[in-house]
Amino acid sequence: MFARLTQGQLPMARRRREQLLFLMDNGIYVVTVVLFIVFVILAPYFFTPRNLVNILISASLAGIVTAGYTVAILAGQIDTSTQGVLAVATVTTALLFEEVGVSLPLTVAFALLAGIAAGLFNGLIVVNGKIVAFVATLATQGVMLAIALFLSGGQTITIAREGLQEAVFIRVFGIPSSVWIMFFCYIVGYVMLTQTKLGAHIYATGADYRAALLSGVPVDRVIRIALVISALTAALTAVLVTARAKQSAMFGLAIAGSVDFVTALTAVLLGGFSLFGGVGRIERNLVAVLFLTILGNGLQLMDVPTGIILIVRGFALVLAVILSVLRARMT
Amino acid sequence: MASEDVILETIDLDKSFGAVHAVRTVSWKVYEGRVNALVGDNGAGKSTLIKLISGALQPNSGGFRVRGQETRIGGPAGAFGLGIAAVYQNLALVENRDVVMNMFLGSELTRGPGQIFLDHKGMLRQAHEVLDDIHARIPNVREMVRNLSGGQRQAVAVGRALIRGGEIIIMDEPTAALGVEQTQEVLQLIDTLRGQGKTIILISHNIQQVFEIADYISVMFHGELIGTRSRDEATEAEVVAMIMGKRSP
Repeated sequence: MFARLTQGQLPMARRRREQLLFLMDNGIYVVTVVLFIVFVILAPYFFTPRNLVNILISASLAGIVTAGYTVAILAGQIDTSTQGVLAVATVTTALLFEEVGVSLPLTVAFALLAGIAAGLFNGLIVVNGKIVAFVATLATQGVMLAIALFLSGGQTITIAREGLQEAVFIRVFGIPSSVWIMFFCYIVGYVMLTQTKLGAHIYATGADYRAALLSGVPVDRVIRIALVISALTAALTAVLVTARAKQSAMFGLAIAGSVDFVTALTAVLLGGFSLFGGVGRIERNLVAVLFLTILGNGLQLMDVPTGIILIVRGFALVLAVILSVLRARMT
Repeated sequence: MASEDVILETIDLDKSFGAVHAVRTVSWKVYEGRVNALVGDNGAGKSTLIKLISGALQPNSGGFRVRGQETRIGGPAGAFGLGIAAVYQNLALVENRDVVMNMFLGSELTRGPGQIFLDHKGMLRQAHEVLDDIHARIPNVREMVRNLSGGQRQAVAVGRALIRGGEIIIMDEPTAALGVEQTQEVLQLIDTLRGQGKTIILISHNIQQVFEIADYISVMFHGELIGTRSRDEATEAEVVAMIMGKRSP
């Protein structure tokens, strides 16, 4: 009377699509290795221990902020307030450590608390105000930048007191602690996203808010948590950036390394994430961050003018956006 | 009809939205282990009645009797607690997640300290069991839902209802968007569920299909329940006449 449920090999077209998606998603591994080899051959001093450690330090700063940013993106929240959080946290760090003279652990704790507060503030506007994250965080970023400007009196705060940089960049097995912190962030992120209920809910909320809601996922809480994680990693990065530069970073623009919203966004998109949430694997972002850092570092060593490097990075973002949109159309 | 067990009964259920009287003192009996079809024209009140039963809406007056016990259905969670699970028309599946994660979305199996870790193995095993039980042919439960056919999706959504302990499964126009072959898959799925003693509430526009699969056919018209017929004693012409508001004696 009834046909059996169709035995299901994927139809040819679907299988092709899945293969192409696999390529788009994992191409970043190949591209990064190729780029690395190219610079080993072409760029002087690229393949030296000193430079490799430099690359890792730069990558760690961009990497940590990107890890949290990734979580927000996965939950479907484009968090544009990164710069604002960086600004508040860097000023908090510099003020407390240099001018107030607070101990190092307390300074770090307060900087991270500032990040959590910023994330909660974002969550309040997004969830309670029912405003799209992209717009809401653009607005909150303005508030945060203003707070940072007010706190610092519009001045860059230089840190003369010893102990911050030394402690934060202490070397463990020859590798600066910021690199270890980055790996730690990615391991925690990986476990959370793939092995916990919260991770499953983050993916589901980002992929389909309504379906998640109907299935009983506490979507609002998930969004709040994702925004706090994003702000928290930005604050952590701010501490490291401040320690590295021995001064507060005006307007959150990082002096050392390229830690900003655009880098994080480029890395996230190059890593195969959808701008619309719910798709992507955090470990690929780590590779995408390394790719961007190697690109900048190698070109610099080849004496390519900074302007050109910025243009190249700009094109990387354009390419990443195109890839992301293509991907979204295919799924 | 008298020998049949009633598993769920609505008692003078009434629901208005402002001036619109969507459900008018409906007392409906749903028979255990049977396919109970609910038919009626657009706007007849089928969807509202179903939402009241699945806890998505609260009635203005009236109540429920489930397995002989008078009760109220406080919300979707309350409905789940009573073994009532709705399979929504759009299925509420997440396209970019795999079959297992969709089946357990919102009711994930967990382990470890504080139950924060997912029990991937347990979910995989249970997903296989449930899908095997309903004879769903989904070759790879790690497949993304976006790659499934309409019939397979329906199976995943029903699997989710079963995992949540669904004994009374509400299916809202399950074949509305499907082709001929997939429609047959879904009808077979309904037949399988009935074979396992599940109670099905089926909303459908398709009279032919209703006659093919349902045991009881209830008709709504302008918010009222105007009659229930067993399939064997009804004719299509009679049911169509009832849908258009003609009460038969």
